[in-house]
Amino acid sequence: MSTKQRKFSIFRYNPNTPEKKPFMQDYVIEEVPGMTIFTALNKIREDLDPSLMFDFVCRAAICGSCAMIINGRPRLACKTLTGDLKGTITLMPLPVFKLIGDLSVDTGTWFRQLQLRTEAWIHTDKKFDPDAVEERMDNRVALEIYEAERCIECGCCIAGCVTANIREDFLGAAGINRVARFMVDPRDERTPQQYFDVIGSDEGAFGCMALMACDDNCPMQLPLQSQLAFVRRKMLAFGLLGK
Amino acid sequence: MMNYTVIVTDVLVAGAGLAGERAAIEAASRGLDVIILSLVPPRRSHSTAAQGGCQASLGNCAMGEGDNTDIHFADTVKGSDWGCDQDVARLFVETVPKAIRQMAHWGVPWSRVVAGRKVLPDGREIEDKKEKEGLITARDFGGTAKWRTCYTADGTGHSMQYTVDSVVIKLGITVHDRTEAISIIHDGETCLGVVARCLRTGELRIYLARATVIATGGYGRLYGASTNAIINEGTGMSIALDTGIVPLGNMEAVQFHPTGMVPVWILITEGARGDGGYLLDKNLHRFMPDYEPVKKELASRDVVSRRMIQHIRKGYGVDSPYGPHLWLDIRHLGAKHINTNLREIKNICMNFNGIDPVKDLIPVRPTQHYSMGGVRTNIDGAAYGLKGLFAVGEAACWDLHGFNRLGGNSLAETIVSGWVVGRKVAEYARDAVLNYSHSLVQGFARKQQERINDLIAGRLGKENVYQIRREMEQTLMDYVGIFRNGPDLQKAVAKFQELHERAQKIGLRSDGKWASPELTTSLRMPGMVRLALCISYGALTRTESRGSHAREDYPKRDDVNWLKRTLAYWKEGADLPELRYEPVKITELPPGDRGYGESSAASTGGNKANGQ
Amino acid sequence: MQAQKLLTRNPRAELYYDLVELLTGVTLVGFLWTHMIFVATILLGKQTFNTLSQFLDDYYLSYVGIPFIILVFVTHILAAGRRLPTRYQEQKIIWRHARMLKGTDTWIWVFQVITGAAIFALGSIHMWMVITGWPIRAMTSADRMHSFWWFYLVLLLLGEYHAGFGIYRQFVKWGWFPRKPLGYVTKMITAVILALGLAALWVMYELGGAV
Ligand SMILES: Cc1cc2nc3c(=O)[nH]c(=O)nc-3n(C[C@H](O)[C@H](O)[C@H](O)COP(=O)(O)OP(=O)(O)OC[C@H]3O[C@@H](n4cnc5c(N)ncnc54)[C@H](O)[C@@H]3O)c2cc1C
Ligand code: HEM
Ligand code: HEM
Ligand code: SF4
Ligand code: F3S
Ligand code: FES
Repeated sequence: MSTKQRKFSIFRYNPNTPEKKPFMQDYVIEEVPGMTIFTALNKIREDLDPSLMFDFVCRAAICGSCAMIINGRPRLACKTLTGDLKGTITLMPLPVFKLIGDLSVDTGTWFRQLQLRTEAWIHTDKKFDPDAVEERMDNRVALEIYEAERCIECGCCIAGCVTANIREDFLGAAGINRVARFMVDPRDERTPQQYFDVIGSDEGAFGCMALMACDDNCPMQLPLQSQLAFVRRKMLAFGLLGK
Repeated sequence: MMNYTVIVTDVLVAGAGLAGERAAIEAASRGLDVIILSLVPPRRSHSTAAQGGCQASLGNCAMGEGDNTDIHFADTVKGSDWGCDQDVARLFVETVPKAIRQMAHWGVPWSRVVAGRKVLPDGREIEDKKEKEGLITARDFGGTAKWRTCYTADGTGHSMQYTVDSVVIKLGITVHDRTEAISIIHDGETCLGVVARCLRTGELRIYLARATVIATGGYGRLYGASTNAIINEGTGMSIALDTGIVPLGNMEAVQFHPTGMVPVWILITEGARGDGGYLLDKNLHRFMPDYEPVKKELASRDVVSRRMIQHIRKGYGVDSPYGPHLWLDIRHLGAKHINTNLREIKNICMNFNGIDPVKDLIPVRPTQHYSMGGVRTNIDGAAYGLKGLFAVGEAACWDLHGFNRLGGNSLAETIVSGWVVGRKVAEYARDAVLNYSHSLVQGFARKQQERINDLIAGRLGKENVYQIRREMEQTLMDYVGIFRNGPDLQKAVAKFQELHERAQKIGLRSDGKWASPELTTSLRMPGMVRLALCISYGALTRTESRGSHAREDYPKRDDVNWLKRTLAYWKEGADLPELRYEPVKITELPPGDRGYGESSAASTGGNKANGQ
Repeated sequence: MQAQKLLTRNPRAELYYDLVELLTGVTLVGFLWTHMIFVATILLGKQTFNTLSQFLDDYYLSYVGIPFIILVFVTHILAAGRRLPTRYQEQKIIWRHARMLKGTDTWIWVFQVITGAAIFALGSIHMWMVITGWPIRAMTSADRMHSFWWFYLVLLLLGEYHAGFGIYRQFVKWGWFPRKPLGYVTKMITAVILALGLAALWVMYELGGAV
């Protein structure tokens, strides 16, 4: 098993000390077989620079914490193998989201805002009866809901989307997909008009310009093109026909 | 002197995983003001990683027919090796079906029963009935008499966490994410809240509440190899321990899984061995038949794990920068089988290791998986020792799991205990009054500030925090793993005592300002070592084998002397926990034969009890 | 959203915009492709070209069609043009972003905007020339194209690019077809139309030069 030196070029900036301008810092470490950006960054922090900020939680492509721009593309750092990248590995924080420091960004606040704006919860007048048997649902419907629910809110689709980069209020593919999740859910009793109010505008469905960076970059491989189009068509029907 | 920001609320929940959020919802929907603190945004909590499922005796699917709460109860008690509190287990099994349905009402899609005939991999034919179609279905899990594990495709924890969080958002519950509780404020009798550190700015804040709930999850990451998220460092348990009055229960009960993939320790499911995979050593020799001629790789999880470690200790491990490991070989199963039936394994190998199990060997080693121990509470979730302090979820020792948790019972625990305990928290908080002295409260924050200042100024010493951490992780792996014995545990305890000393003398290498990650770890380090001491010292003292606690020198369960729960206290300035014991509550099912495991008469070698 | 914005805004405005963008875009693409086929009738000889042109005039199709297309052209510019990044800051972000990401569809869009703006200018000049040189006959066209072949070449390439990817993008947006095969089909159509256009341009150039 061979090892070689790998160079990392990493974005550095702490918004708490604005007098120190952003810069790129280089680190060289030994690359071991099976090394991911997760293991590499931890190695850099533990051996070379304990001040380096970045986020990981699950390190298994489940939680969505570790998205960053790796050699120009938004990806999950934990499932990116250094061996798959050529040359110097350049790491930048995701754009759009508020920078916390170095590679760490505040996706949490952004996504919580998104849930509030899209009212991303089941709207129903039914009361829960703990003693009743659950309502039935076709397994196909359950899987369809889950297909949209799989989004891990990593922000790759937002960071890669030019529209989201220039329009602060754009909900992005993750937001539109989130609404799609509720539209296919028979438990949600929202009317077409209510949905239209939420995303029947340039902040939602009509703001998307089909740039497809979302579809190309989603680490969960959500079918974002068809989800966006589905919502767009629904909004057309809701807006024109009211149903 | 500087005063710290004080935030006052009715109920404070530290931890936004399933357990914490579920408890918060219960309190908020009873009209109380609730604030949740979390290291990360709620939806990034480790609960989302649970893919397998959640147990509830709904009995809807064909293989679950006839299931009921009594069978679930018996499975749970046997799984715990009679270490659990049976009144808690009873309350749990009775509530789970309701909790699952409530999740469905809130939005978890749950996979549903599809009527029709099916053939199982082992050739058995079953039929799901028409009248059950569309109800919540279940899958098979270890240690259960019926198929009882409800799931949502391959993302059960994810869909549950997202749904529960959607209710939190709907109710407008305040969440302060990137905020770490670093100390519990109390006056010796009552818990008043916590001192928390902002992980955006490094600022300290004081949160005061009539009731405080610890829901901070497990401590898996004390071990060098764990399937857990890297934020699972047991901080909630250690701040409870630091009060000196709140005990941790059964910390020696730690669950392992045989095949975590090196070096990322992501779980490789048992399916790989179930379908015929081999374990090989550094000479590519298939060693399991040498130890277990009959069951080979398919002996029980704990047995396989123990044999693997034994073999590594003999020097047959494959050396790697991440420590010695063994190989899992599924190449002989063929590309077709691997690419269809074992696709998940293939994806994990490709994504996280760049290896293709069709042609390559998979590096594996037994890996820490779940912590049964935690903040000891009564059946209402109230922590021992302090009024107004509660604990739920993996952080708590409620005690549903005793010495071994059943797969699928921990997700179920989070929503059940969140519900039950949340109600008790609300009842308590409604009647309680927040009575505190300003100087006492500020003093707690000041004490933390002093630690921080000392670290930043480099006044304590020059120890490297990451070095201490690595030694702690390694020692736990080497001496307090799956396989335990007196001399090793002794070594571990001595090592941790040394590390505990050194952890007081950490010197930062960065400036430690703002949300410095090095400072964050340094603040946690002494507490983590104390937890490691609770685990190892508890294990050293418990001279029997029970559930996951397997002593080579005491291989039998000893109900005469050890049918009791360990309570670990930490007195300020001590270098060892003080251990006390309390009886385990047996109400319905007296200790007996589990029906599996090595010491069982009816052993088939297939210990199904250690589910995911 | 702010209350002020909510009160003053037609809640369906953005839906209508999007719809107009779709309809005008598709109409223009339909027109352009037909237009290219019409011009390409020159390949079958001057006579065919003139007959077709005469036919369109005789039945007043030109007199309805041309104003209609001009109207659609203008509407399209208004609807699609609203997406044009006007602020310098925005343009900078887009440019940096497109370069960094190397996302194909983002580049397609960037070129959509650039070609659109160019067509706005060139197309207007072209239409002005044609209408002021009325009627359309093979020889007048050939003369124009002989003198200004480079202008037509540029317009042809830009127009076809804009139309081909424009229709692809609309189909992607509304999700009528999956992305990959769709891209293939539109590229094929564009190639065919482009070949026709080039051939026509060549024939026209030769014709015009002969005089
Ligand atoms: C790989 C894997 C698979 C699993 N699969 C299953 C399964 O299939 N079925 C099953 O039943 N169980 C499974 N489990 C176990 C189960 O997922 C966990 O036990 C359960 O989710 C724990 O939930 P929790 O709410 O207690 O804690 P967590 O979900 O871990 O949440 C802890 C929360 O506390 C916060 N926190 C931590 N420390 C602090 C602090 N100091 N201050 C403030 N906040 C803090 C964190 O930010 C987080 O929000 C699995 C576990 C693993 C590791
Ligand atoms: C014959 C001429 C034209 C044809 C056939 C045509 C066709 C199209 C089509 C089909 C689209 C797709 C809509 C989309 O991408 O969302 C489009 C988009 C666009 N067009 Fe045109 N167009 C023409 C002229 C123009 C002109 C003159 C402009 C001048 C500004 C222009 C500007 C744009 C822009 C900016 C877009 C992108 C809009 C968006 O991305 O939403 N087009 N065009
Ligand atoms: C509605 C008004 C239009 C009319 C009546 C018209 C008519 C013509 C005519 C008669 C020609 C032959 C050459 C000439 O006589 O100059 C021509 C060529 C051409 N037109 Fe138009 N046109 C119109 C609009 C457009 C638009 C909007 C475009 C924009 C993309 C366009 C693109 C072209 C091109 C590229 C050619 C050259 C064809 C080739 O190379 O074979 N036309 N047009
Ligand atoms: S849609 Fe995909 S890329 Fe976007 S946030 Fe969700 S998982 Fe990430
Ligand atoms: S990248 Fe952006 S513009 Fe639409 S198709 Fe995706 S959201
Ligand atoms: S760390 Fe969770 S997705 Fe990468």
